[in-house]
Amino acid sequence: MNEKLTEISSLLQAGKAGKCKKAVKAAVDEGIDAQTILNEALLSGMDVVGRKFKANEIFVPEVLVAARCMNKSLDVLKPLLLKEGSEPVGTVILGTVKGDLHDIGKNLVNIMMQGKGLTVIDLGVDVPAEKFVEAAKENNADIVACSALLTTTMGEMQGVVDAVKASDLADKVKIMIGGAPITSDFCEEIGADVYSVDGSEAAEAAYEICVA
Amino acid sequence: MQSKERLFKTLKHESVDRIPWVPFAGVHAGFLKDYAADEVLQDADKLYESLMEVNRLYKPDGQPVVFDLQLEAECLGCELQWEKNSPPSIKTHPLDGDDEEPPVIPCECTIPTPESGRFPVILDVMRRMKESVGETTALYGLVTGPFTLASHLRGNNIFTDMFDFDEETEELLNYCAKVAKASAGYMIDAGMDVIAVVDPLISQISSNHFEEYMIKPFTEVFDYIRERGAYSSFFVCGDATRNLEVMCKTKPDSMSIDENVDLKVALEIGRKHGVVVGGNIPLTTVMLNGNQMDNMKFVVDLLDNMEDKSGFILAPGCDMPYQTPIDNAIGVAQAVIETESVRQMIKNYVGEEIDTSGVVIPNYDNLDKPLMEVFTLDPLSCAACTYMLRVAQEAKDTLGDKIDMAEYRITEKENIARVKKMEVEKLPSIYINGQLEFSSIIPSKSELEKALNIAMK
Repeated sequence: MNEKLTEISSLLQAGKAGKCKKAVKAAVDEGIDAQTILNEALLSGMDVVGRKFKANEIFVPEVLVAARCMNKSLDVLKPLLLKEGSEPVGTVILGTVKGDLHDIGKNLVNIMMQGKGLTVIDLGVDVPAEKFVEAAKENNADIVACSALLTTTMGEMQGVVDAVKASDLADKVKIMIGGAPITSDFCEEIGADVYSVDGSEAAEAAYEICVA
Repeated sequence: MQSKERLFKTLKHESVDRIPWVPFAGVHAGFLKDYAADEVLQDADKLYESLMEVNRLYKPDGQPVVFDLQLEAECLGCELQWEKNSPPSIKTHPLDGDDEEPPVIPCECTIPTPESGRFPVILDVMRRMKESVGETTALYGLVTGPFTLASHLRGNNIFTDMFDFDEETEELLNYCAKVAKASAGYMIDAGMDVIAVVDPLISQISSNHFEEYMIKPFTEVFDYIRERGAYSSFFVCGDATRNLEVMCKTKPDSMSIDENVDLKVALEIGRKHGVVVGGNIPLTTVMLNGNQMDNMKFVVDLLDNMEDKSGFILAPGCDMPYQTPIDNAIGVAQAVIETESVRQMIKNYVGEEIDTSGVVIPNYDNLDKPLMEVFTLDPLSCAACTYMLRVAQEAKDTLGDKIDMAEYRITEKENIARVKKMEVEKLPSIYINGQLEFSSIIPSKSELEKALNIAMK
């Protein structure tokens, strides 16, 4: 791999946002195309971060600083990527369900999914079922992904499943769920499509759905 | 051995007659008296009444007076979103802002006083609980741990601050430790025996970050609790396995873990450092979604698989879900208090196919008079069973020959067969004419008589 790309990937993994952004600019100036920087430095770096997170080698703070590098570097690359006309892998509508204000888990899922090249529309926290459906329609999404931290709010996921199934998205959109109290049994019970245990697994599953 | 003494002795690493039990009934306490979560966390009378019911039904050795990690944060300007069936959530973070700017450290003059926010309500209930049950039950006061409080104030930026702003992060955590100490002090003044420093977020950071930022503030808080003559506990949630060693370095008397941590591993680490371990009944799969038999079986298996039972407190993994079935917690209490008889009961229940052919079910449609049947675990040791049987007996005494009454204790094999045949799922319970009327929640005498009078018509 190009030395510059390796450096960007290492800076991202170490969470050095300022230096990472500078290195991305330098790579662009050197004439490396934006898509290559994205795929071979940033996304591959996030992939390592995701794997280490899953393996319990690094934790929430390390993932968040890596994600920040990713976002700042994307500020440099986005205009160029648009010019190059690159195709996103797929679109995910993401949010924490109604009544639940917890967003760390959801944010990690967002980062990991972006790391896989997916376009993520983050609706934030306390999102009512119908909003998921509206956003999925507007953005022609492939996936609706819901997060819940509380045993008291996990029941809201049933509402999202029902709302999607009652809409004309039923055969088009897959529903993913996750969060501390969620289990695969619960996923089956409410008729959701995929349960993921953490952000990394969620990103992997979403990627598989979109490329299938 | 008295309940409180049993818990204290365990915390002092002395031998005890059985493992102590501490039900973390926070908002769940309200469920026992039909009060919503936002009512019990804001109304002293409702909270007190609910906690007394926890004490009555679950026979705890130790009991938290309130489980609310938003108490201090609310005083410091975080807005709350109240819920009916869970503790409130933090809606706004007053120190939130640009992650490229360091957090502004609040002035020490903002540290809550006993008059701030909901402290007067909570401290009042603590004093009342101390007076009512403090002689026999060890009472827990819960304070928000410095890291979780810092995250309430600063939002998610606290995580990136740990990389960008070392000094300010340390200062913010020190400020939060001072808040925790103040809060602990007020609770000790109000009679709390054990102060639990509750910090669920600790499971989300590396041991290196713990050593860098957390050792100092946590050690200070635990030192202070010790100086004030109270016991301490370090509550975490989530998989904090890697941090158990470094948590022990902050010198709490005990630590409490949830089902994400292997209890055996936690006990090994705890014993090495002289720290008692509490835990870790699974909250959702067992306590919330399991049935009573699952709960009793879980506890008996847990105790049977533990070679060395010293330095252990039985507790739920964390704050019990609001709607945890009451009979499930009663089952847990029964299993820890009367382990041997419950072990036998489970063996009979799940063992060889129970022959129910000998059970004669009354012809409920053609009874001469109403039949009240009381199903209990064992009224000698199960408090809820005692109360339910007592109220049934009182109703029977009042109504005399107008009704018939039968009592079935599940300690006897033929009664297990009856319970199976009648598909009784929750104990204790009262059936009238073969219909379930009261389950786990003890009716008042007038409620029961009303139900019997209706049956007589």
